[in-house]
Amino acid sequence: MAVLTSFRPTWPQRLALGWLGLLVLVAAAVPLLPLPYPPGTPDLAHMTVPPFSATRHWLGTDPQGRDVLSILVYGTRTAVLLTLPAALLAALVGGLAGAAAGFWGNTARAPLSYWLMGAGSVWWGLQLPIPTLGMGLILIGAILAVSATSRSRPLPTCPLPVNALVMGTATALDTIPRLIVVVAVVASIGLSVPGLLAVLVLTTWPPMARLVRAQMLRVRHLPFVEAARAAGLSEGQVWFRHALPHALHPLRTALPLSIAGLLGLESTLSFLGIGLPPEVASWGRLLATVRSEPSAWWVLLFPSLLLTMSILSLNTLSRLLNPRT
Amino acid sequence: MARFIFRRLARTFLAIWALASAVFLLSRHDLDTALRLSLPDATSQTGSSPALLPQGQQAALQALRQRFGLDLPVFYVSHEPASPAGMQSWHWHGLHNQYHQWLRALAHGDLGTSFRTGEGVAARLRHALAFTLPLTGTAAVLAVLIALALAQRLATSWWWQRPVRVVLVVVHGLPLFVVALVLLLVFANPDVLDWLPAYGFGQLDETSTSPGQHLADVFLHLILPVLALVITALPELTLQLTAALQQELGTAYATTARAKGLSEAAVVRHHALRNALLPTLAQIAEFLPALVAGAVVVEVVFALPGMGRLLAEASAARDYPVLIGGVLLTGAVRLLALLLADLSYFWADPRIRWQS
Repeated sequence: MAVLTSFRPTWPQRLALGWLGLLVLVAAAVPLLPLPYPPGTPDLAHMTVPPFSATRHWLGTDPQGRDVLSILVYGTRTAVLLTLPAALLAALVGGLAGAAAGFWGNTARAPLSYWLMGAGSVWWGLQLPIPTLGMGLILIGAILAVSATSRSRPLPTCPLPVNALVMGTATALDTIPRLIVVVAVVASIGLSVPGLLAVLVLTTWPPMARLVRAQMLRVRHLPFVEAARAAGLSEGQVWFRHALPHALHPLRTALPLSIAGLLGLESTLSFLGIGLPPEVASWGRLLATVRSEPSAWWVLLFPSLLLTMSILSLNTLSRLLNPRT
Repeated sequence: MARFIFRRLARTFLAIWALASAVFLLSRHDLDTALRLSLPDATSQTGSSPALLPQGQQAALQALRQRFGLDLPVFYVSHEPASPAGMQSWHWHGLHNQYHQWLRALAHGDLGTSFRTGEGVAARLRHALAFTLPLTGTAAVLAVLIALALAQRLATSWWWQRPVRVVLVVVHGLPLFVVALVLLLVFANPDVLDWLPAYGFGQLDETSTSPGQHLADVFLHLILPVLALVITALPELTLQLTAALQQELGTAYATTARAKGLSEAAVVRHHALRNALLPTLAQIAEFLPALVAGAVVVEVVFALPGMGRLLAEASAARDYPVLIGGVLLTGAVRLLALLLADLSYFWADPRIRWQS
């Protein structure tokens, strides 16, 4: 909370915050706005109309006769509804995975009963031959766990390489540039908004996991973690209640930056025509139409202005949240 | 040192294998669409279900499946109804499956055949690379050189540092395709400035008369794409290097160098630069594969026949062998970049040399 009370934004930072707030507000209030034209329907009588002309298309129309203003407004909603959840989910996944990897390293040991239960449920879930065997494994694990707690004698444990698992997955996902991975995977699973969201989350969490893991490696040696252990808390509680909140600090700076990156990525994909279905309004797709009508400067100017201002605002915001400055 | 490099390369290699396998297996999920898209009269038929297709097309699809080996099972095991009764169970297919065949062909250096054109993927990638490598290579070299020059000036002089930094930060916020579009619409637009050619790179092979003219034409077509790539890559490199240089200039050895009577520029060039270079080397290793991705955008905008456009078109047409080839190639660039970065660490920092 100390961070929030010493919040003194400068003027550019206030502008950035205001702009981002406006975007979110517009995205939330889209159905209530009095737009003269819906975004998807072409107005064949007014194609490629420049802005501020006599017609009611205030910002003009694109080469297919669609109203630029409504595409921009609905594109704002697409951008906010796609990038914000993607960034938050990626922060959640990356934060938890990175914190677990940093806290336990490769030395975590899970009791035998959990291993048995896990193996049994995997066996049962995959419907491998003789499903009763899986049920049996789960049952044995549960009995072992109950008997161990009742007699308070620890079970033998097996090592669980959390760090290797998390970092290996992260390496596999961010070895190759994000755009190439997204292009390849989107082509394989087809065009849809939930699918794109999943792909974006999948390719965004690795850097966040690395940041949180690095911070956790520092935090886990601090005295208060030791104190929490000495107070008799279990490892899980020490991790979740005491170490995790401190290890998540780098995400404050990383989250706005990752939203900015996602915004750029989403509009690049729409621009290339491989991200969202064509009927979804988006800034990138509007920008792409300028190639068929190079004299329509307004189709290029307005969406790229929105995009640039949003990305710059997010960059400013991340500097505002950076504790070092 | 050698062991460290080997372990890193091995891990990256495993990661690339895992990713390519994932894309391979995912792509087998929706093969019908891909095959129908690859048929000659695909455009009219994409929306309809296979049952509605005429007999001839069904036969053509079947023939395509056999030709590409797609009638085999996908993986070593599969989970499907064993009998018409609908009881699901696991099947072991042995080594005679698509994944195994693909891996074996890959080990022999065979990347497969494009669904769309029937050409070898390796040949298509080679054609595209012959175009993309000069483009991205020039852009990479230019960006690094300009960043080096600019950062040295920025770190020492004070009065024009602020405006340049502001410009760099703003440019850093621009997505690549916006930069490319603006360049295209300003410098290659008959209505604004008709200085450079916009499209039409593909036709020049037939029309060009002399080698000199051909070279000039290639050069003219490459100016804007290279400029777009350099403009987007420059801010990150420059800002990072400037910050590192400024930190090094505050250290004791820089003060000693100044006390010897060296000029500020000489302190930067002979003392601070080499120490400030380490993070930038890591950044360049990130940056080489990213240039391939940047080529996707630039080549689509400027209609250039390179890697990037090949990948974008393969993605739109579900031409999976080409896509997987692209992923593998980018991975190879990544491996190469990592190797180069590690070797250049070795060169730049004697402490790393002594430790090994």
